[in-house]
Formats: sequence, structure tokens, C-alpha cells
Amino acid sequence: MSESAIMRPRIVEVRERVLKQNDLLARELRQRFREAGVRVVSMVSSPGAGKTMLLEKTLAILSREYRVAALVGDLATENDALRLQRSGAPVKQITTGTTCHLDASMISAALIDWNLKGLGILFIENVGNLVCPSSYDLGEDLRAVLMSTTEGEDKPLKYPTIFNTADIAVITKIDLAAAVEFDVKAVHRNIQTVRPGMRVIEVSAKTGTGLENWLQAVSLKK
Amino acid sequence: MHELSIAVNIVDIANEELVRHGGERIRAIYIQLGPLSGVAKEALLFSFSLACEGTAAEGSRLVIEDTQGQDLDIVRMEIEP
Repeated sequence: MSESAIMRPRIVEVRERVLKQNDLLARELRQRFREAGVRVVSMVSSPGAGKTMLLEKTLAILSREYRVAALVGDLATENDALRLQRSGAPVKQITTGTTCHLDASMISAALIDWNLKGLGILFIENVGNLVCPSSYDLGEDLRAVLMSTTEGEDKPLKYPTIFNTADIAVITKIDLAAAVEFDVKAVHRNIQTVRPGMRVIEVSAKTGTGLENWLQAVSLKK
Repeated sequence: MHELSIAVNIVDIANEELVRHGGERIRAIYIQLGPLSGVAKEALLFSFSLACEGTAAEGSRLVIEDTQGQDLDIVRMEIEP
């Protein structure tokens, strides 16, 4: 009989959150943001929902009133950062390689040489993905989940977790709703099914419809 | 698919706990997983054996207890000796 076979196993209690390291870092980030007086808004959606376009408009408008900045996550390329830098706001790209989400350590690393003092709002655009980002707290004050009218009305039912971890839902490309026969009422109903009481904002970054509501939600002071 | 990084976290924490308890090998890790954790059970089980390779948890079992909400916690382990 081998030695391991006669070894009696013992049970030890652990009681640890699997994401404790991320949660700890996120708490530190939140503390740092609070001390600097910066409001942090993160945006999550599937690829192509229009995060970058909405952020582009948002930075351009809000930079007249606040000092704004953005971190953008993508698997590869600096394209989004280059596009957003045209607004004049400081923008940093986080390329995650093969990782499908941003986590608190990536945010910490990206902000290491940033002076947050005097910054009004920091936007974090997550990697396009409706699943993985839901598990990772980034220390943000507000998490917005975006979905476009070119996606199915049942998206909230298919991805309930992200709708449950987000604070507000944003329906983008609302100008296309009629053209793609998107049932706006149905999506509202579906969102309320997975997350009763969730605030929903309809916007079109292209035409400006609903932008005011979105800007009010992101710039709301704590 | 972030289950591999979740599995690596589980194995890292389990190995730290093993050292803390003065054990030598991990036989099983028991976790609680809620439906809103954003983690797919099958993908996690698949990733787990990969994450264990080359550690004191190699060959161990991951036992998943279905719970509520966003639970994603390690609750206990079976270790040797």
C-alpha cells in the first residue's frame, strides 16, 4: 500500500471569496477615487453595442464642464484610445491580450502614473463582453450596461448577471429602432424582469436623442 | 470565458491555505457557486484540472455546491495529512 493511501485526509474550513484579491484591490481603488474626488463610471456591453461612440460624444460634451478622462479595454489594438483622444481628454488603452475582461489590478496598473486630483469623471470602457466583466469590481461608482437596438430584445434575459451587477441600463442606437423593428417595450419589460426597478436610458449617440439623460446620470455628484 | 482565471484563483487560495494548515496535498476543494456569479460550472470544472497541474492540488476534486445570488466562495478543503 502506498504511503498516500494510508494517509487520512482532514477537512479544513476555508471561507474565502474566490475573488478576494480583486475585491481588495477594488476597495483600495474606490478609496483612492473618493479621496481624489473623482467619479468613476464603467461601461460594459457586447462588442459593437456602441460604447466607444457614446463615450466619444460624452467626453466631447462633458470636457466643457469637467476634467474628464477614460481608460479603454480591448484584447488588442489602440484604435479606441486613438479615436477617443480626439476629444482632447486624457485616454489610456489597456490591452488585455487574451483576457476577456478588465480587473481591478489592470485599472491600478493603468492609473499608476496618473494624478487623479482635479479630475471630475473617469470613464472605464470594458472589453466587449456581457459575461466575464460582471464578476470583477473595478472600484467604480456607477456601472452602466449598454445594449443596442440591433441586438435581440431578449438580451437581458440571456445575460441576467450583468444586468444585476450594473446600476443602469442604456439602450443605444435608438435611432435605428424602427428600421430594425426593435421592440422597445419588450426590452424594457425584459430588463424589469431580471432587475426590477432598474433605470433605463434610451440614447442615440449619432442623433443626440436621450444624451441629456445619459449625461445627467454619469455626472451626478455623489 | 474567464473560468480559467477563476480556477487559478481557487487553486492559489487553496495552496495558501494548505501551507497555513501545514498540509502536504489537497484532495478536494469545496466551493459555493451562485447562479449570478457569472461563472459557468462546466467550464470551471474543465479549467480546474488545468489550474491544478504542477501544484499540491494536482489530481484533486472540485466539489461545487449550488447556492444563491453571486456566491463564489471556497468553503473548505480536504487535505493530507
